[in-house]
Amino acid sequence: MSDDAAATIALVGNPNTGKTTLFNALCGTRARTANFPGSTVDHHAGLCTLGGGILEVIDLPGIYSLDLDLPECAVCSDCIAGRLGPAPDAVVLVLDATNLQRNLQFASTVLRRGVPCVAAVTMTDAARSAGLVLSTESIGKDLGIPVIEASGRTGIGLVDLARSARDIATRLAPPHPAVPFPHATPGTAACAEWAAGIFERAGGRATRAGTDPLTERLDLAFTHPVLGIAAFLATMALLFMSIFWLASYPMDAIDATIGTLAELVRSLLPDGLLSDFLADGVVGGIGATLVFLPQIALLFFLLALLEDTGYLARAALSLDRTMRRFGLPGQAFLPLLSSHACALPGIMSTRLIPGRRDRLATILCAPFMSCTARIPVYVLLCGLLFANEPWLAGIAFAGCYALGIAAGLGTAWLLRTTILAGEGRAMVMELPPYRTPSLRTALLVARDRSSIFLRNAATVILSISVVMWWLSAFPRSDPTPQSQALRQVAEAAVAAGDEARAQELVAAADSLDAQTQARGSFAARVGDAVQPAFEPLGLDRQLTMAVLTSFLAREVFVNTVAIQVQSGDDVADPSTMEAMRTATREDGTPLFGRGTCAALLVFYVLAMQCLPTLVLTGREAGGWRWALLQLGWMSALAWVAGAIAFQLVAT
Amino acid sequence: MTDPTPPIRIPLTQLAPGQRATVDCSALDALPPGDRCLLTAMGLGERCEVRMCRGGRACILQVDTTRLGLSQDVAERIMVTPIDDAP
Repeated sequence: MSDDAAATIALVGNPNTGKTTLFNALCGTRARTANFPGSTVDHHAGLCTLGGGILEVIDLPGIYSLDLDLPECAVCSDCIAGRLGPAPDAVVLVLDATNLQRNLQFASTVLRRGVPCVAAVTMTDAARSAGLVLSTESIGKDLGIPVIEASGRTGIGLVDLARSARDIATRLAPPHPAVPFPHATPGTAACAEWAAGIFERAGGRATRAGTDPLTERLDLAFTHPVLGIAAFLATMALLFMSIFWLASYPMDAIDATIGTLAELVRSLLPDGLLSDFLADGVVGGIGATLVFLPQIALLFFLLALLEDTGYLARAALSLDRTMRRFGLPGQAFLPLLSSHACALPGIMSTRLIPGRRDRLATILCAPFMSCTARIPVYVLLCGLLFANEPWLAGIAFAGCYALGIAAGLGTAWLLRTTILAGEGRAMVMELPPYRTPSLRTALLVARDRSSIFLRNAATVILSISVVMWWLSAFPRSDPTPQSQALRQVAEAAVAAGDEARAQELVAAADSLDAQTQARGSFAARVGDAVQPAFEPLGLDRQLTMAVLTSFLAREVFVNTVAIQVQSGDDVADPSTMEAMRTATREDGTPLFGRGTCAALLVFYVLAMQCLPTLVLTGREAGGWRWALLQLGWMSALAWVAGAIAFQLVAT
Repeated sequence: MTDPTPPIRIPLTQLAPGQRATVDCSALDALPPGDRCLLTAMGLGERCEVRMCRGGRACILQVDTTRLGLSQDVAERIMVTPIDDAP
């Protein structure tokens, strides 16, 4: 509990009751997302200052019962019982007025535990629109607790709710007279009758719920076998186009800022170890990860808006049958599709998947989807493989995407029939009403997800980036006689007033020094040691080193090869392709033979060459063993498939 | 005199769109215990009345004011008693 807070309260309730909107209204922007120790189930915590004094508020996941054998139910139950830390001083039961009878049955399971409670009745405006006016006083009398009408959207009742919760939590309020609660399970006739009695005494009428024609029509369209899939693909195309378009501006800005910052560090510090460490290791390491932040924030902002409209639940339902063939639920489609942009937001969006086995299988197969970072590698290798046959290069490029999808879905099937075997959670979901999404909620979700990603980047990813930098920067190599000669000529060119020529010569000297440094580094020594393992893929010492240095991020492969063959790293530039095509190995044979190109292409489709993804898998899957399994499986599959591709094409 | 004809129980998937039915205490017996408890907690409890909104592989059901989405394999294992006045 926060030192300033007088007490802690926990919000519990069914999903789609307006609980999180209520939490956001109570705590504003001061909330944070966290996991309980030993759990991957999210909860939010924040401070509420409404009504005088400070309350710590915990927003627990929406659940249908405390007693179900599901991770989120166990977390709620354990939190209320004080098994995950100090128990909350009071519980706020969030009850949806439009579905009060079911919500009351849920409430009975909490009230039976004897926890001090307050109830917040939400969605009263929707209930009134349907002609239902409920007396909170009557409900409170029946439940034996204070009951307050409250809405996070309109702000009604928030101060009263905060004050009442504080009084109950700090035991300032006199206890309500004890009332009997049914000891029957929710859904049984006895419990339903108890809830119906309270509902009727509060002014509710037992009538058949009406049907909304618009909801009926939209549901029929969104879950139609053909229309539903078409609507989903169109929505996702629009979503990702928006992300690519909108995120490109902040991404370019971050890239430029990181470049400027690195230059600033270099200009402020004398040439040497500290300058290289700060500019390349620290600033470069942070930049390589930070550049993905706009995509992540935008994806989660737009997804939160879509989820709030009620559409995503329909999409998951309509895709369920297709995904079940590979052992995955309908909800897995979205993370897998997101992973084609970047595996990081894809893996983070697996939090939408309710079953743990389903979620783990999706996390483990998501990095097989071809992300944008693979594109430069694909362009380079397809171009080298089919130099004068652009249509074949195009087919190979599309084939890479198909191979990634096939490997990912095959992996999911394999996992769900072996180590993650067992019946997945059945596709049973509540379809929330269609409504206008809340911009504020979407912004808070985007902020939460971004801060989780940044915490990740600031710790593990940065540490490993520094280690990778050290391996490639040490031991330091002296400048070669050739580069020194080039620099002398450059100085002469400056003296003669030919600045352009001088810059070209300095760039050539820098490239030579970088090549020498790369060849003599610890990373290169590791490359020498492991090269025999890559022999079956047709890789020599240089290419093995390029594969190893690209473990941090795949796109580094192009950069490393460019340094080795002394070309630029823009694969769209014909001179770069020509330099790569004509590059030779130490024995004079082509560096990129057809067999080697095919092997590398297959290897990069299947290999886990992305450190941030690996770190995120460890965090989201709830243990490093899953990240290591992912690394081991993807590397082994990539190596075997690469070796087969080499043998097939080279021979 | 009691009615000698027992109520006809059919799988949920056999309800026509718009048709109503009631759920009894053994309606969910063919489902695994976890799914049974979840459905019950979601409102598909004893004696509740349901309305079929959409059949087929993505089944949509209305229970009171709640709309539930069920996959076909779940829906076909839920037994219900159709109500005569439907649709």
